[in-house]
Amino acid sequence: MITVESLVKVYANGTRAVAGIDFAVPGGEFFGFLGPNGAGKSTTLKILSTLLRKTSGHVVVAGHDVDRDPMAVRRSIGFAMQEVGLDDLATGRDFLVLQGLLYRQTRQEARRRAAELMELVGLTPVAGRKVGTYSGGMRRRIDLVAALMHRPPLLFLDEPTTGLDPQSRLAIWEHLEHLNRQGTTIVLTTQTMEEADRLCQRLAIIDRGQIVAQGSSRALKEELGGDVITVRIDASSPEEHQAQTAKAVALARERSYVAAVSASDGGFSISVADSGAAVPDLLRLLHENRIPVKSLAMASPTLDDVFLKHTGHKIRTEDTGGDEMAQAMRPWLGLGKR
Amino acid sequence: MSILRETYYIYLRNLKIWVTQPANVIPSLLISAFLFLAFGGAFASVTRLPGFPAGDYNSFLTAMIIVQAVVFSGADAGIATLTDIMSGYFDKLLLAPINRFSILFSSLLMAGTRALVQAVVVVVIALALGVSFQSGPLGIVVLLLLATLFGMAWSCLGLIIAFKTKSAQATQSSFVIFFPFIFFTSAFMPKEFLEGWFKVAVTLNPVDYVLQSMRVLVIQGWDWGALLPGLWVLAAMTVVFTAAATWLYRRATA
Repeated sequence: MITVESLVKVYANGTRAVAGIDFAVPGGEFFGFLGPNGAGKSTTLKILSTLLRKTSGHVVVAGHDVDRDPMAVRRSIGFAMQEVGLDDLATGRDFLVLQGLLYRQTRQEARRRAAELMELVGLTPVAGRKVGTYSGGMRRRIDLVAALMHRPPLLFLDEPTTGLDPQSRLAIWEHLEHLNRQGTTIVLTTQTMEEADRLCQRLAIIDRGQIVAQGSSRALKEELGGDVITVRIDASSPEEHQAQTAKAVALARERSYVAAVSASDGGFSISVADSGAAVPDLLRLLHENRIPVKSLAMASPTLDDVFLKHTGHKIRTEDTGGDEMAQAMRPWLGLGKR
Repeated sequence: MSILRETYYIYLRNLKIWVTQPANVIPSLLISAFLFLAFGGAFASVTRLPGFPAGDYNSFLTAMIIVQAVVFSGADAGIATLTDIMSGYFDKLLLAPINRFSILFSSLLMAGTRALVQAVVVVVIALALGVSFQSGPLGIVVLLLLATLFGMAWSCLGLIIAFKTKSAQATQSSFVIFFPFIFFTSAFMPKEFLEGWFKVAVTLNPVDYVLQSMRVLVIQGWDWGALLPGLWVLAAMTVVFTAAATWLYRRATA
């Protein structure tokens, strides 16, 4: 559905928003871009959707080259742009109907489709109100269904739930999962690990214009060595504690499921592929060898850990809202050279 | 021709937004009425000057009031387009599989519609004030058409400023540069009565030719010798301004 090779985007002001990325999304997949503000996620989506021209590279969307046949690409995609692009002065119904008309539906078709979609996302009661009066959750929903008016096989979503309350977010997630099950290929960008983890079959972690890791969220986490079990030893003296810990570490090293062992504060940590299976055996082993256990904790790596490992920093960094604004400038505000 | 269809649909959207905001229509109606009152009152006795071409000053004033309404609305199309760009709706339109010029053409059509409505308002007020149109009902139709065309041409200036500055404030304040185009004209006195630098300025001002043609329709009737210069200037203005706006638009959205 999407093939991107060595994609580079340098803005007129010299900002290198996308610094050579490669990825592919097969039909039917739910694919996500995870990264902080200014990582290049939005820029990438804008290039894929023909809103922005790439500096170099090769981009094929829905079987069409974005430069050679942008019209065919536009016909095949829907793009919900984070509420951006709603017509606040029109009623919800008019907004959707015009959207359908511009995608060559007849007026009757467009009206029927608009009514059907508004019913689907619970906007029927406010269909005749101006979009400008909608709440945040309602705006996201109409933004989403506007992108669905022409039943595109490929859907782009730029941070579809950023700034929403948990309930609205869940509702959007369920709609998206439903669409994907029905065969729509979805590419979204997100800043939250939770969203990427829940929705995306495959992820690309993007930071400073580069994809630093790619794969299913499970595979990305497993790359970190799976789960971590931390055991603290109970002992009456430091010497005994040391001896018991050394004994336990030696025992643990011999188990086939243990990938790595390291000392930690008051005990030791081991990495295993699956902590659920390892813990019973580990406890039995320690008990049989009379090693007193003070506490045992299990932790699964999160996408946070994955992000940290690949980028060296956490995803929630300082607010770079200003930069994002500058980068998100309409293609044609950067007049001329793009 | 799908571009016609697309232009029409986007135009309908612009129209709907315009009519649902009474603030867009009422001020121009009030200003037109006020100008008749103010200038008509101030200059009423000017018509007694020997050689003054009109019997009553309101007839002389009618074309000026149409022209000022159109000229002062020149920034509206630019501002509306910038509003859509800021809200991102413009991007939504660019995402659709449409000919992108339909977006530009629909805002020009909207500008024409606005000018037409304003001209109709002025004509109605003029008729109520007893102005008799020497060119008859057909002349009124032609007058309205000229106003529509002039509205489309002139609003290209607003679009050009909008595309160039990308600032709603700058476009909004562009009406400042419209002032000389309205007031350095024969709007209040026939050109024969003017002299010195002012007369030179009036001669250089293209808007004055359009104004004169419109006024001829009101106070003289079908005097082609007096009508034609303004028609040529309007045609030239339409071609040049539309071409410039289209070129800038193309550069901005290609």
